[in-house]
Amino acid sequence: MEIIVCIKPVLDPDLPPAKFTVDGKKNEVIPPEGVPFVMSPYDALAVEAALRIKEAQGGKITVLTQGTKYAEEIMRKALAMGADEGVILSDPAFEDSDGFGTAHVLAQTVKKIGKFDLILCGRQAADWDAGVVGSLIAEYLNIPVVIRAKSIEVLDGVLKIERISTNGSEVFELGLPALVTLSSEMGQVRIPSGWGIISAAKKQVPKWGATDIGTDPSQTGAAAAVNRLVKLYVPVYERKCEMVTGKDPAEAAARLTEKILAIKP
Amino acid sequence: MEKFDAIVVGAGPAGCAAAYTMAKAGLTVLVLERGKYTGAKNMWGGAFFGPVMGEIFPEFRKEAPVERFINRHIISFMTKEDCLSIDFKSYHGDEGSSPGFIMLRAKFDRWMSTKVEQAGAILATGLEVTDFIFDGSRVAGVKVGTEEFPGNVVILTDGANSLLAKKAGLRDDYKAPDLKQGVKEIIKLPREVIEDRFGVSGSEGVVMEFVGACTKGLPGGGFIYTNQESLSVGVVVQLSALLENNVKASDLIEDFKEHPSVRPLIRNGETVEYSAHLIPVSGVAMMPRLYSGGILVAGDAAAMVLGTGLILEGANLAMAAGIAAGNTVIGAKALNDFSALALSQYESLLKESFVMKDLQTFRRAPHFLENPRIYNDYPEWTCAMMRGIFNSTGKARRNILEVVKESMKGKIGLMQLVGDTLKARKAI
Ligand SMILES: Cc1cc2nc3c(=O)[nH]c(=O)nc-3n(C[C@H](O)[C@H](O)[C@H](O)COP(=O)(O)OP(=O)(O)OC[C@H]3O[C@@H](n4cnc5c(N)ncnc54)[C@H](O)[C@@H]3O)c2cc1C
Repeated sequence: MEIIVCIKPVLDPDLPPAKFTVDGKKNEVIPPEGVPFVMSPYDALAVEAALRIKEAQGGKITVLTQGTKYAEEIMRKALAMGADEGVILSDPAFEDSDGFGTAHVLAQTVKKIGKFDLILCGRQAADWDAGVVGSLIAEYLNIPVVIRAKSIEVLDGVLKIERISTNGSEVFELGLPALVTLSSEMGQVRIPSGWGIISAAKKQVPKWGATDIGTDPSQTGAAAAVNRLVKLYVPVYERKCEMVTGKDPAEAAARLTEKILAIKP
Repeated sequence: MEKFDAIVVGAGPAGCAAAYTMAKAGLTVLVLERGKYTGAKNMWGGAFFGPVMGEIFPEFRKEAPVERFINRHIISFMTKEDCLSIDFKSYHGDEGSSPGFIMLRAKFDRWMSTKVEQAGAILATGLEVTDFIFDGSRVAGVKVGTEEFPGNVVILTDGANSLLAKKAGLRDDYKAPDLKQGVKEIIKLPREVIEDRFGVSGSEGVVMEFVGACTKGLPGGGFIYTNQESLSVGVVVQLSALLENNVKASDLIEDFKEHPSVRPLIRNGETVEYSAHLIPVSGVAMMPRLYSGGILVAGDAAAMVLGTGLILEGANLAMAAGIAAGNTVIGAKALNDFSALALSQYESLLKESFVMKDLQTFRRAPHFLENPRIYNDYPEWTCAMMRGIFNSTGKARRNILEVVKESMKGKIGLMQLVGDTLKARKAI
């Protein structure tokens, strides 16, 4: 079983809002200094799912991440959890790609690796929550995809997947190769052991650029982006409180009803 | 199972300096840090003094995340309503050449630990060392829960109140007066505002120390340090005094921020971080045994903190001790001898360096600084004297000597003053 997992570094979603600021002019988040990015929690679930499959029936796990400042750090984390190999995709041409560009880079990398049975991704990245990269990789590779999986089992070369849907869950069976994105309902992600961290620190992680994986320059980078960020800001929530009174509960209720009806939907 | 040449417990200044020294010499080094990432839980005031940083990292002036270089020191005595300050500015050398500088731990620890990794050491975060592996009475590695990590030498740099030093049999329990508690807020302000309020420009910075009302007269002090775009504002107080007087350090910092001489400095600032930490302050009197078979201890874990009341230095001593520990292990490795006798070289190195010399010179300071008059009567007296000198009452003025005498009345006896001055001469 050859499993490929795609992971992304994001600003730690557990950080309190006071820790970072937004540059409204450049439409950029200014992360707090000294606080490293973390593996997007949904992607960590994908690594966990891969490890569970490997434990159940053997195989090899290769982790991919598109290189930003913290790529190396989250790659080491995935390796420490138990992944076998990793590749960092790093090239100036990839910078400022949107989901489409990133999916192109990852799909090209998978093609270069050649051998694979299963690709796992998080259901969405915890920073932009777009949730398109997994499906796009499947599209580019022309393989089936199931998104928001809660559990994955592999039985005699057939994937059995329970996926979260709006009204409950659905169970799918599909052949390999396929791509699956993982949802938080899957459960707990393991914490790396000390020796896991030590063996991860010793592994070589190659960096591949545009020429290594043969990306199409017209499909990556800011110029190729299909999505355009219009405005980035920290939302301000306002709470107002108004006391409704009356000489008795009936009058208070009548006034309250009036006020509610006066609010336009 | 792989056995490391050295295992370093804690990636603060002491641990990083030790690990860097050894890794550069080609030793296999494992650094275990309990924080989720380096610097995650660490704090300090932020003023680093002396040349030791440049000795280990010659490139630090260009690379390290220095907030500001110190060219202005302000020492203030405060009562509830007054504040008398000595303001020392120094413009020797170019901007950025000052031997003192201000840094934030989150950034500094990360920079330093990256250096350690680049030198070849393995840094593993999120792992809290809980115990040792013993070989007879000799330490032969560490345990993190049920996981074991064998090593020829363990360097303990786990900071103040090291429980592991106790477990290794290197120290007894501390007494409450041996520790101070520090609390600190980081208050965000625009760079231009900081430069205007503190009279600095470019990379210049100020350290301000306060004595008196900021600790409600308890042994300790307050501080304000300028970062690039924030202020570090804090209070350090003797732990036993807090307990005895039922005072909370968190309340003291609130009062400190409200003091009329502090409030305008932090006005409109936003508190973005709050932290608290212990400081070992009794110096040589509380120092553990520094080595034993297979183990060395350095930095706060060995109480290497110098406090004279006017300065608080720990990070530079920690780094110097870390370097000495590292060099000791390099020597031990060459002879493949990690016995207590071989590791005793560490103590010799420390005695030759400023670490033990300074701690010896100021060995009486901790006791001297417990004198409550320093935090009550003297600020009251000096401020009353200044009020007397500057206050114009419409009546005939008295000469200055009379003002001084008057201000001492009921506060300080002449003999006390002479006695305390003599003690101060010996202690600091
Ligand atoms: C409020 C305050 C203000 C200060 N101001 C200054 C100042 O302005 N200038 C100055 O020079 N010094 C100052 N100090 C002192 C200075 O911070 C310390 O002396 C210095 O940090 C000591 O370095 P260290 O490496 O020995 O310990 P630490 O910096 O405390 O590092 C210890 C490390 O060990 C880790 N650790 C602890 N236990 C374990 C374990 N069991 N397993 C794994 N890891 C562990 C910790 O997470 C930490 O990273 C101040 C201290 C305080 C509290």
